[in-house]
Amino acid sequence: MSAHVTGVGLAVSGLASLDNLLRPTSDGVEPSLNGKGMRHKDRASRLALLATGHALRDAGLGEVNGDRVAVVVSSNFGNLDTACEFTDIIHTETVTGISPMRVPHMSSSVTACWVAIEYGLRGPNLTMCSGTPSGLDAVFWARNLIAIDRADVAVVIGVEPDTIPVAELHKANGGHRWLDGAVALVVESTEHALRRGVRLRARVGGYGKGPEPRAAITSALGKYPRPIELCVSASGAAGLPAGVRTVDLTNRLGRCSGALGVLQCATAVAWFDESGPDAVLAVAGCVGDGEGDETGSAALVLTSPRTALREDVA
Amino acid sequence: MTWDITGLGAVASIGDDPRKIFDALCVGRSGVAELRVFDVSKYRAKHAYEIDDRAVPGVDEPGRATKWLRQAVSQALADAGLDSSHGEYPILVGTTLRELRSAELWWRHRTPLALPNLHFGGALRSGFGTAESHTVASACAASLYALGMATDLIELGFVDTVVVAGTDSITESSYGALDRLQNLTPRSVRPFHADRRGMLMGEGAVAVVVRKPEVHGGPVHARVRGVSMNCDGAHPTMPDAASIARAIRESHDRAKVRPDDIDMVITHGSGTKQNDLAETVALEDVFADVALPPLVTSIKSSAGHTCGGSGLLSFVMGVLSLRNGAVPPILGLDDRMEEAADLRLVHGEPALGDLSTAQIHSIGLGGINAVAIVEKAA
Repeated sequence: MSAHVTGVGLAVSGLASLDNLLRPTSDGVEPSLNGKGMRHKDRASRLALLATGHALRDAGLGEVNGDRVAVVVSSNFGNLDTACEFTDIIHTETVTGISPMRVPHMSSSVTACWVAIEYGLRGPNLTMCSGTPSGLDAVFWARNLIAIDRADVAVVIGVEPDTIPVAELHKANGGHRWLDGAVALVVESTEHALRRGVRLRARVGGYGKGPEPRAAITSALGKYPRPIELCVSASGAAGLPAGVRTVDLTNRLGRCSGALGVLQCATAVAWFDESGPDAVLAVAGCVGDGEGDETGSAALVLTSPRTALREDVA
Repeated sequence: MTWDITGLGAVASIGDDPRKIFDALCVGRSGVAELRVFDVSKYRAKHAYEIDDRAVPGVDEPGRATKWLRQAVSQALADAGLDSSHGEYPILVGTTLRELRSAELWWRHRTPLALPNLHFGGALRSGFGTAESHTVASACAASLYALGMATDLIELGFVDTVVVAGTDSITESSYGALDRLQNLTPRSVRPFHADRRGMLMGEGAVAVVVRKPEVHGGPVHARVRGVSMNCDGAHPTMPDAASIARAIRESHDRAKVRPDDIDMVITHGSGTKQNDLAETVALEDVFADVALPPLVTSIKSSAGHTCGGSGLLSFVMGVLSLRNGAVPPILGLDDRMEEAADLRLVHGEPALGDLSTAQIHSIGLGGINAVAIVEKAA
């Protein structure tokens, strides 16, 4: 069972709209994190809730059977602030100083839980924290949940909040700039999307993981027959197809960590929305991502819905 | 389809391999002790089921969850007769807290913390040669979720063999948060007890090797029939009995079994008022029409709540229960909660019998549920 992206939502400092991923503007924007459902939430969850709302509306998913909707979050630093602040509170005030409202935030899965509660999504609830490849991994797992019939729809969220402990950890590890934001994709079984009559935005294609980018790319491309038109990757990553335009999000946004792969997929959607043809290759987890996380690389092929439908029919 | 379990590994407060842990459960030994490194004056609770392995007693050190993970994975690979050095098997790790304890030590005491060391990819690559690892942090249901994800990977034809693991060490922030949330102060975990007072955390790691049946000729410990996963989507800390029942029924559908096929249940059984009540209601509902309902136990009275690894640790103990024809008792269950009067709770001695199918529950904070069905290998 194939899967398509049918909605995208952004809540990223500095990105006003989806096409900003392809063409940066100088207008800075800040996500507005007030309003319904935002009280007593950690920053990562508030960013994720905002992006998810945008993505669900973008996909036209107002009414949906929540039992068949999965949530897959990718984040490496989502609740680092809670862990650090709670230890400070315990040492200065004892445990009685911890607000009971904040207790759920101790779990690394807190963002996925708040998203499930706020939007009534009762399918499988995954949180992936596997370093920089984690965002592309999350899209892969979302597609698997659909392919194995655990869900019709999966909301995939990449989120990294800029909090004081996150900033200190980045600085201690040679970082200068890092993301503050969340991006959400609605990934949907093609059949379900066509039945709803919603616009298909990008087909989720081959995925590969390997010790370095070249192995991951080879595995992701598999027997994909057509040329790659755009790479979204750290520029100069080993194994990228020669002569293809490359968009390096970390150049502009800094370290994107667990959100990187999901932002890369959103970039592919922006490209296809503007009638960019054929295929985009996303690669995360390389030396050039700048996080020193060389534990593995992931690659994912996304294809234009126009091309993809021809393939599905064939 | 079904999936073969060909290797087991585990480390916990009550034993450093699966057999020792199972034996400790059967004789009713507990791993509970006073907190070993946290400043007890800062907490109301004073006890936990820690692994007593710090180099300097009373002084904490980073990387313990990672260390146990490597031990458990090594045990499981060796048990399955697989060479661990080539990295051809993906490893999925379920964890609630990742290496957040290392992050706390960095924050409070400035011990170095490299970004990749928050997850387990680096340790698994250097220890087992695999670049294909995934850190799954679906609260305390994480390792049973990872088991379900592994069966999906095999069923979809991506791989024939997956290592599934779980690990957690206790963090100050989670221990303190739990302490803050609970009204009473438990000195031990007392699942389904009338006077249960809440949950206490435990430490440990666990691993299994999952293989497609046709691809190997080796011995099989047990067969996974199916794993369900869902989310209440209702409340951040209160479990939902109807949602747990939905997860149980879905696991039966996936496993193609009926309620009367289930011989034993290892519950999440965390000893909190709400969890044990919700699980009781769900079990009463699902097994309402069964003449002889399954035996019911929890391993947390002996091992504590080992967080992200707890579901898979229950699973491994379920596999050993099927192999040995013995369901370990709930330690200290001398006065059961009124609502559980009709459950066949195992207490005192192990319940002996010819067991063929076990049901394993895992219920995470935030209403994340997974249920696995496993059957004895013929």
